[in-house]
Amino acid sequence: MLCQSCKKNEATTHIKRVVNGRIEEYDLCPECAKKMGYTSLFSNFESEWNSLLGSFFGGGLPSRTSATRCKSCGASFSEIAKRGMVGCPDCYETFYEELLPSIKKIHGNTRHNGKFPSSSGRQLAIVNELESMQEQLNEAIARQEFEKAAELRDKINELKGESKNG
Amino acid sequence: MAEKWYERSGEHGSVVISSRIRLARNLKSYPFPNRASLEQKREIALRVKKAIEESNSTLAGSFSFISMEELTQLQAVSLVEKHLISPEFASDRKGRYLMLSEDEAISIMINEEDHIRIQVLGSGLSLNELYNTANNIDTLLDDALGFAFNEKLGYLTQCPTNLGTGMRASLMLHLPATEKNRAIARIAGNLSKLGMELRGTFGEGSDVKGSLYQMSNQITLGISEHTAIENLKNIASQMIEQEEKSLEELSKTLEMQDIIFRSAAVLKSARLMTNDEAMKLLSNVRAGMVTGLIESKDYSLLNRMSEQIQPATLMTSNNREMTPQERDSARAELLRRELKELF
Repeated sequence: MLCQSCKKNEATTHIKRVVNGRIEEYDLCPECAKKMGYTSLFSNFESEWNSLLGSFFGGGLPSRTSATRCKSCGASFSEIAKRGMVGCPDCYETFYEELLPSIKKIHGNTRHNGKFPSSSGRQLAIVNELESMQEQLNEAIARQEFEKAAELRDKINELKGESKNG
Repeated sequence: MAEKWYERSGEHGSVVISSRIRLARNLKSYPFPNRASLEQKREIALRVKKAIEESNSTLAGSFSFISMEELTQLQAVSLVEKHLISPEFASDRKGRYLMLSEDEAISIMINEEDHIRIQVLGSGLSLNELYNTANNIDTLLDDALGFAFNEKLGYLTQCPTNLGTGMRASLMLHLPATEKNRAIARIAGNLSKLGMELRGTFGEGSDVKGSLYQMSNQITLGISEHTAIENLKNIASQMIEQEEKSLEELSKTLEMQDIIFRSAAVLKSARLMTNDEAMKLLSNVRAGMVTGLIESKDYSLLNRMSEQIQPATLMTSNNREMTPQERDSARAELLRRELKELF
């Protein structure tokens, strides 16, 4: 299908939006989608993701991945690439090596920094919280907000104590 | 009825209409929505509902649980107009559920792109407070349901663009002067290099309605919630300052003064008003308030109007389908009535 905006390129993104009280649907090529700002909050990233996977696969599918299926949901990597959607949480383990280059392209990073759920273990959560608070402490000092800094320092010490006992 | 979030005014309300935090979360033991059965989706929804209801938090009582299939198309679109759900969520409603707080500040979309999308809305610049609320709901649901998480990749999401924190923080900004100075494209270009995005809230490209823009973080992996929010706030405060300064300059011109007072006059008297025109006039009146040309500072009234004049919301509150002309008439009447005291 051709892009409904430029009528030149192949449409890869399906857009839904509300115009005058009704839902309208469009098929757009990645370029027009980007031009119209459809890369954010409430839109799908599938086209971008697909084209990332597409370029990554320039040299053909690696043989392991075309045969391997996720043990939990049964998805193969080519299915994931085609839909632009990962099958289940376990797919990220199964296809970690295959997904990593695209993840790096999207985020520029491959390592999480931020909240750890308590279910991942209190120790891990504490380590992460400590890092985040240290970050905030440095900022507070840089801004010469010493009262806030002192408060943060106390909290950090408290957490460190808990980490040792825990 | 409870006061809605957009009826309160917030910090930097002159430029920042609203703030929003959204967290993408998935349950450990289910396939993502694109591979989940309707039965599994229903089960997930009921588990989320139970977790909220059984929590001892004060939140529990204020939520309603909505099966999207039971809404009319019109009601669903009205929720999109109020930024409570996505267009995608409204168009394909099978297997999808919504939990909505009474003040419409918190919405939990179930089985959208991810099993759970927690969204918290607030007026003005309020990202930290909103994050705290979202974080509490997240912790509460995680304790009850167990979210999919990986030490390296963070929260696991159906689309890898949301990996990591799964957090999208955004601000809705009113930028008439920045827009008039043709600075939007340049700022948007610079922001994208910083992993942030600026785009029109209603309409797109060169056809943005009401000078309303959405600014949000794009990168979720490798950057903590705290840092992402601070980055957004730092950029926003520069943009607010710039916008206020430019608007101040602009309002000294007779041309701008004429536009502002003419807009107020039309809002007070018109008998037919399209949505696009209303958005533009409300934007001009807001500019008048910011610069003091219009005495009132009742930004929350303008926020409420911007919500209520949207087509599906207008029809929902009138309880019927209306022709475009009937809508234009009802819209003009609503604006005349509500803004009468304002100027």
